[in-house]
Amino acid sequence: MTPPVPIRRRVITLFGAGSMALTLAACGGGSLGGEEGGAEGGGDGGGTVRVGLVIPQAGVYTPLGEDMQQGWDLWLDQNDGMMGDFDVETVIADEGEGPDTGVPAVQRLLTEDSVDALVGIVNSATALGVAEQVTEAEVPLIVANAGAEAITKDAASPYVWRSSFTNAQIAAAMGTHLAEEGIGPVYVMAPDYAAGQEVVAGFTEAYEAGGGTIAGQALTPFGTTQDFQPFLSGVQSSGAAATFVFYAGGEAVSYVQQYDEFGLKDSIPLYGSGFLTEGSVLDAQGESAVGVRTTLHYSTEIDNEANAEFVEAYQAAYDELPTTYAVQAYDAANVLGRALAEAGDVSGSAITEALDGLGEIDDSPRGPWSFTNQTPEQSIYLREVADEGGTLLNTVVEDLGVQPQP
Amino acid sequence: MLGWFDANLVSILNGFAIGSLLFILAVGLSIVFGMMDVLNLAHGAFFLIGSYLAVTFVAGESWGGFLTALGVAALIGLLAGGALSGLTEPLARRPILDQALLTLGISLIVAEVLSIIYGNDVFSVPPPPGLAESIDVAGRAYPAYRLMLIAVGLVLALVVWLVVEKTSIGALVRASVADREMVSAMGVDNRKVKFAVLGVGSLLATVAGVLAAPVYGARPGLDETILLLALVVIVIGGRGSVRGALVGALVIGQVESLGRALVPDLASFILFGTLALVLIVRPRGLFAGKVAHS
Amino acid sequence: MSVIPDSSTETTGAAAAVAATSPASRRNALLRRGVPALVLLVLLAAVPLFADPFTTNTISRILIFALFAVSLDLLVGITGLPSLGHAAYFGVGAYTAGLVSIHWTSEAPVPVLLAAGAGAVAAAATGWLAVRSGGVYFLMLTLAIGELVHQLAQRLTSVTGGSNGLFGIPSVRIGGQPLTLAGLVYWYVLVLALLGFLGLWLVARSPFGGALRGIRDNEPRMRSLGYSPFRYKYVAFILAGGFAGLAGGLFAGLLRIVNPSDAGFTTSALMLLAVILGGAGTLWGPVLGAAVVVLVRDTFGPQLDGHGPLLLGIVFVVAVYVLPRGFAGLTGVLARRKRTAGGTA
Repeated sequence: MTPPVPIRRRVITLFGAGSMALTLAACGGGSLGGEEGGAEGGGDGGGTVRVGLVIPQAGVYTPLGEDMQQGWDLWLDQNDGMMGDFDVETVIADEGEGPDTGVPAVQRLLTEDSVDALVGIVNSATALGVAEQVTEAEVPLIVANAGAEAITKDAASPYVWRSSFTNAQIAAAMGTHLAEEGIGPVYVMAPDYAAGQEVVAGFTEAYEAGGGTIAGQALTPFGTTQDFQPFLSGVQSSGAAATFVFYAGGEAVSYVQQYDEFGLKDSIPLYGSGFLTEGSVLDAQGESAVGVRTTLHYSTEIDNEANAEFVEAYQAAYDELPTTYAVQAYDAANVLGRALAEAGDVSGSAITEALDGLGEIDDSPRGPWSFTNQTPEQSIYLREVADEGGTLLNTVVEDLGVQPQP
Repeated sequence: MLGWFDANLVSILNGFAIGSLLFILAVGLSIVFGMMDVLNLAHGAFFLIGSYLAVTFVAGESWGGFLTALGVAALIGLLAGGALSGLTEPLARRPILDQALLTLGISLIVAEVLSIIYGNDVFSVPPPPGLAESIDVAGRAYPAYRLMLIAVGLVLALVVWLVVEKTSIGALVRASVADREMVSAMGVDNRKVKFAVLGVGSLLATVAGVLAAPVYGARPGLDETILLLALVVIVIGGRGSVRGALVGALVIGQVESLGRALVPDLASFILFGTLALVLIVRPRGLFAGKVAHS
Repeated sequence: MSVIPDSSTETTGAAAAVAATSPASRRNALLRRGVPALVLLVLLAAVPLFADPFTTNTISRILIFALFAVSLDLLVGITGLPSLGHAAYFGVGAYTAGLVSIHWTSEAPVPVLLAAGAGAVAAAATGWLAVRSGGVYFLMLTLAIGELVHQLAQRLTSVTGGSNGLFGIPSVRIGGQPLTLAGLVYWYVLVLALLGFLGLWLVARSPFGGALRGIRDNEPRMRSLGYSPFRYKYVAFILAGGFAGLAGGLFAGLLRIVNPSDAGFTTSALMLLAVILGGAGTLWGPVLGAAVVVLVRDTFGPQLDGHGPLLLGIVFVVAVYVLPRGFAGLTGVLARRKRTAGGTA
């Protein structure tokens, strides 16, 4: 009788572990009462605030998750782990690549871990997928990356805030700028998914509004395109004077390198949304990236005091340059900290009310910004990749000024 | 017509380069699958091992580093294939889907170990010296390394075909596929044949990983994309035949290159559309090997 | 080459055993099976009374993916058609239920019934091509169909929301009342999933299911007996698509977001592995397989600092050796042990 039993027991423990965790966490028990959310922690001043940090720890977005965690940790280190009068307890959950893993992760933070606030989320679909839940649980969520316009528009909720950007905001800034430059017909390329489509639409609208013409556009299969040659030959035969693209991660590396290898870089200058040359992808691109111009709401080279201090502290802590992803999480911590100091209460309604009243955030590395419709109204910078003593940097060419939400 | 050809020459050429790469990648999977009936879903993960080895050794941008990476990859591929041969032995009489479960499990583990070792960043790998430049092809720049890939792919195709079809080793392999009992009655250990075929098949995967590194780089998730491509190639060509793998690879190479250049709007649909179309018209692939009919 | 899971020997063996036994022992068998089933049912029904919302939601997910896995088992295990594109019909069902809820009504059971119908229609539209092939070619053809559906969901942004997903799906309503509490949603999922299981079980037990097994085991023989394998496989494909659509409809109601990847390769592959892990052809084995996959991927995985896939890989590899016939094989072993133990005592 003996051998099969341990196997079966193993299966039972697998199930048991889940239910055990739930019995421990279930105060009062059952799932038929009202949503408790994190509301029970409310109180006047002092105590602990539990914050769920939702970042990708597995899958293609993992490098972004690492940067975000470092930004978050740095802010807490600089502020003695306190937000207002509250000790911060960070509960990290793995967002994974998409809503399949991200939504349950958030669900768990809301119910089992009873967090008071949520920060993070790289993937727009995940952010949109949890918007309704956080609203029902009345737990504020500060999206620290996902750029879909809908997050703070179609799916807007008093509890969903954003410390990052919108896809079209960044692209439109470049569209307006290139139209002013009178650069000529532009070819537009992006991966064929929602963010890519938003970028293409945002750029095209702004560029055409400024009097420019589009030479052509291509949407490449998302996530599975390693070879851009077929599309690049379309760029060459279109007679474009410049190319504007939106790629990130592995696709950004392949694209920039192949743009160089197939000889387009010298004849048709490459412009892009800032993620094209942001973070670790820039090192992988190497010399091919030099001269590429992008727009983004951050660069390590922005000349202000807050940024200088931030870059120095970040380098001291992690021995690498910060990325925009790190800044977005750092700023999310900053606004949450300000809101908690203001509110003196960890209830969702108190935090959101305080967020609403924050006004201008004047000590951000990206320069001053403020919430408009719960998403940043901020300066967008024109950046150019330069090789400075063997290190590739996104130098700031020009501050394109504050960009309203399109 | 001539004008069309001229405009798309580079895409056609590129189709051959990608096709060559796909051939090197898929032929190993195809012989393992067609001849030994082992569905090795870890093939993509083995490929990724090769790509990361290239990251490790090619850092110096020297031929020495590149050749070292190839050598180490070949050795690791051989060992990995041998290990896989041992692991699949107890499954020989079980449904082939059990092998899928095993090899996909191995693939997940290998990919995860790679990401623990190398982190999750994207790496690019420079081509070896002399091949890093772009060459002028019909007035357009084309990377020299990709031209070399075409040559390597053709040579390998010839070698594999000769070994399988014209040598006594190839005859033994083909015979043990057709009639295992017969071959073992002749005093040849079936397991040794399987060990060798899996070893060589997996070696081709890791070597393909090194060769592909200057084109595709190395990054998490590449294994899955590559595995799907390889599966499409061998299904289109018909598994178990060297000729089929070559034709399948060249077809998919052109589909992925020329096809995408011609109808960029349908680029997302074209690969699997082609697969579906081929299987609807020819339910057993374009060139079903002799083996596959059984 | 055979891609047919070899559970046939066990099922036919069991059937022979039942036929050979006396009415009294058949009653015993019924009791032996009926009582645990009843206990399980009561336990399942009671989940919301003691489990917190997260756990309740997790079990809802497991039920949904279990229904999906069992519908896939009708193809893989019973009919011998291993599909790598079954998520397409799950996805079609999920999108249908989501769109119906957003644009028309979320009153139960309208969205899920339409989801099941849409899944069946999609399966009917694609299945007549797919079931002509077999083995690995069926595997790849269904993969291609699944990927095309996935890309279509990605592309039709105005309908599906593209890769942002279809969000803002309203809660399921019963008698005009929205089900917002996890426990109520769970009961709704439980009832419909159980109906789904029952339907699939009846199909598998019917003469039709017997014919499918016959075709799986020996197609030429069945053809010579006057059966049309194509027609049987086609109907099985449509039924499996319909039940997958039902599961998809429940999924849309539970998660209230639908994503292209729900119709894609990863979902299909994971569920195929869940079926093998559980034991193809047994219907109930895949339920456990799905449970393990969902728990490892969605419940324990996210707490492992990103090493969830590693755990999943280890589970797969270990299962291949420890559970040669999946979880379903365990009872076989236990029963045999019991028999020998009884014999010697």
